[in-house]
Amino acid sequence: MNFESLQVGQRLHQIDKGVITTAHIMRWSAAVENFHRIHYDAPFAIQHDGLPGVLINGSWKQHVLVQLVKDALAPSGWLWRLKFRYRKMDVAGDALRAIADMVEKREAGGFGFVTLKIALIDQLDRVSTEGHAIGVLPLAGGPPVPYPFRADPAWSTQIGFPQDA
Amino acid sequence: MSEPAQAKADPAALAAWVGREGEPKRSTATLDRETIRRFVQAIMDRDPVYFDDTHAATSRYQTLVAPPLFPVHAFRTAADAPDPLVSVQLDPNADATAGNDGVYFGLPPIEHPFIRLLNGGNEIEFYRCLALGERCVARARYANVQLKEGRSGTMLMVDIETEFRTEAGDLLLINRQTLIWR
Repeated sequence: MNFESLQVGQRLHQIDKGVITTAHIMRWSAAVENFHRIHYDAPFAIQHDGLPGVLINGSWKQHVLVQLVKDALAPSGWLWRLKFRYRKMDVAGDALRAIADMVEKREAGGFGFVTLKIALIDQLDRVSTEGHAIGVLPLAGGPPVPYPFRADPAWSTQIGFPQDA
Repeated sequence: MSEPAQAKADPAALAAWVGREGEPKRSTATLDRETIRRFVQAIMDRDPVYFDDTHAATSRYQTLVAPPLFPVHAFRTAADAPDPLVSVQLDPNADATAGNDGVYFGLPPIEHPFIRLLNGGNEIEFYRCLALGERCVARARYANVQLKEGRSGTMLMVDIETEFRTEAGDLLLINRQTLIWR
């Protein structure tokens, strides 16, 4: 990953998760011990809660967005900030992909900062979750991004999310 | 007809919750390989820093780690806690969320008359990943609590800010979650 070569407007990364079935939802729910019936009990989800189907966990979708940006910036960059909102529900049978597009780049404090527009999109191109991420990259010939990451307090005011985030 | 929820909401009482902190909450267990394996298989992330010791040793992490947002899910039902699934044995309409505390992290719930909860989104800052053998501690506080007028009437907006640190005090991440009650 080379900060200098990145272009505003480019698709930085995409992850295709494919069709998310009830088995995938069950695997996630079991991994985090979430027993909420809307994630495996179709009659409960549809008839009791009035949902369109067995719901894909919002918590699972968060991790897909984190993976998207982490991988987009690997290995030298760091996902510093992430902001997102859920726009619609996804249910078992939906095919999900995550995209990250470059919307801004700037330098501050000896590092390169990229702002990415991120989204989860289903098989009908409907956006279910969207937001922005801010990543930090080393500059050519500059120091590596520190780990653990340390943010200069000034960066939080200098480098914010776009207004529509 | 029952009184609308907004008529019963007391703005001053709600504002008094702002700044209130919960007790620090320790994760159920130290991070182990099996927990990482099940977790990353479930999110379908094959990054070798999660399972390949040799690769992880030469990475920035220097050891196996969990995904950046894992600490939010490191708080499970303790072995000596009441069985949360008793709720569905007692009530066929129970949703089986009893015992879940993935939002409040020990904060006392706010008393209010609203019924329907929506997730208003998250804003997260990442600083470090939880490493193999480490345990994390969450500390939550009410960052903002206010009534707001929306298209469908009055809403209660609640921002919960939770800091996750290692037991040694290293900052892992800060999660700000907005809850919208209608």
